[in-house]
Amino acid sequence: MIANQIALIRREFWEHRSIWVTPAAVAVVVSLVSLAALVTVSAFDREVHLAIFSAANLAGDAERQAALTMYFLATSWIFLVSLAILTIFYSLDSLYSERKDKSILFWRSMPITDSETVVSKLLTAVLMLPLVTVAVIMATHFINLIVSSIWIAIQGGDAGHIVWGSVALFDNWTAALLFTLASALWMSPFIGWFLFVSAFTKRAPLLMAFMPLILIPIIEWLFFRSKIFLEAVLDRGDLNPLLRGVDFERLFDEDKLKVNEEAIRLLAQLDIGDFIVSPSLWAGFVVCGLFTTAAIYVRRFRDES
Amino acid sequence: MTSLVSAHGVSKNYGNVRAVDNVSFEIEKGKIMGLIGPNGAGKTTLLKAVLGLTDCEGELSVLGLDPFRQRKELMQNICFIADVAVLPRWIRVSQLLDFVDSTHPNFSREKAESLLDKTNVSARRDSRVRELSKGMVTQLHLSIIAAVDAKLLILDEPTLGLDIIFRKEFYSNLLSDYFDEERTILVTTHQVEEIENILTDVMFINEGRVILDETMDSLSASYVELMTSGEHADNARKMGPIAERDIFGKSVMLFERPDRDRLGEFGELHTPSIADLFVAKIKGAAA
Repeated sequence: MIANQIALIRREFWEHRSIWVTPAAVAVVVSLVSLAALVTVSAFDREVHLAIFSAANLAGDAERQAALTMYFLATSWIFLVSLAILTIFYSLDSLYSERKDKSILFWRSMPITDSETVVSKLLTAVLMLPLVTVAVIMATHFINLIVSSIWIAIQGGDAGHIVWGSVALFDNWTAALLFTLASALWMSPFIGWFLFVSAFTKRAPLLMAFMPLILIPIIEWLFFRSKIFLEAVLDRGDLNPLLRGVDFERLFDEDKLKVNEEAIRLLAQLDIGDFIVSPSLWAGFVVCGLFTTAAIYVRRFRDES
Repeated sequence: MTSLVSAHGVSKNYGNVRAVDNVSFEIEKGKIMGLIGPNGAGKTTLLKAVLGLTDCEGELSVLGLDPFRQRKELMQNICFIADVAVLPRWIRVSQLLDFVDSTHPNFSREKAESLLDKTNVSARRDSRVRELSKGMVTQLHLSIIAAVDAKLLILDEPTLGLDIIFRKEFYSNLLSDYFDEERTILVTTHQVEEIENILTDVMFINEGRVILDETMDSLSASYVELMTSGEHADNARKMGPIAERDIFGKSVMLFERPDRDRLGEFGELHTPSIADLFVAKIKGAAA
């Protein structure tokens, strides 16, 4: 069972190279933009970078840590956007392409159940895609910190103090891992829906996946004058309980013009306990489970002739 | 003898179309059964039912299992090659071997590798399936299938679209690398003449019904072809041939269980080819 899952998930990585190519491409873009920023700064007057260094040197540990954390967030969010897009396309393709290229009967000639196959695709979407993206985020962050250190050293700054003495690697990376995984789990009802559409539709999975999300609210409004479906969908995007504790105003104490020390820790912003006990999360799992079961059912019972 | 496949009153409807109509048959261990029928006769539907890919009415048992409900167990002991079950085009040869090796309990990697070494795919382990010719893909598929210690092999038009050299090679490899008395093969093809020498049993199916189910030995005992002309032809015709055609001005008549001694007086007797017998049976069923 577990051996089959490992083989099946490895198979997903072979088929969908975009699982690592997409974050790798984003990493290249992010690194190039970071590098360009350093080069641009270098092109300015000596006073500008001297000002940066003196500011960095004069700033307190908390400010430097906050600045580096902001840099981490600024370079990481784009990975999450690309992960969201990747997850949509992966899930919609996962059970559709095997029917389109007619390889489904070959896969079904192996001693593997339809449940095992569909579950491997769900696990890939909910766990493997976020894990790969987080690994690339960490690697990119690390490489860019090294590049920044080299730049600072060339300019005569003390990289050990300015960069490595201040960066909160454990905090940043653990928060990135938890946030990315939790987001995928939180969005699992959509992933389940996409898998079902992928197993079900005969053509245009992207259109088939998003059309109901647009049509159902319109029909609901026309006939019932209510917005229950629309609000349920929008709330999913909006109200991740993991971030309920985030208060951006706490980050910076305007009166004292000072960074609020306990607030700059990313982990402190994430409310894991609140997230895990949130009924919405578990309701989402149920919806995801229902759609996944439906996808298994369709793959098992539909006659492809 | 033990029956590997046992069907009693198996039927399958697609909407109002009865694709398989009350079919009963047995396939015993160590046999090579040819399933022959025109397009749309219900061959593929019947194979799908045997493979557990579709549900059906009636009693169907394959290796003692209910194919639709116990498909995973079944697939450990069945292999199939179908022209519709193509290998994924994106996969590399080595990845395919890795995958089957890690998911199929009865697969021998060593055997697959040594079979592949004898084919044109040998030096193409890192190639993707899409980069191989159709002939190579079939060689690859057969090498994998032959390396699975399966009790039953199902082939649905396995050589469709291949040139004659690959087709001949396919069936000779099938016999040398795969078949032994412990294994059983169920094969469908339109190129009947290419497989009739390897079959032990043959079954004709038309419009969802089995119209002939015989061993090859009993077939040559039951059916005989007479080549004759002129007055002899008129006399022979009185003995009730099931089909008649003309070749070079001579009449060729096909008889089912005739009085051979009497028939021999009218001309030359031959064992009919499966193709001729098939055409005669289909036309007879239609008449």
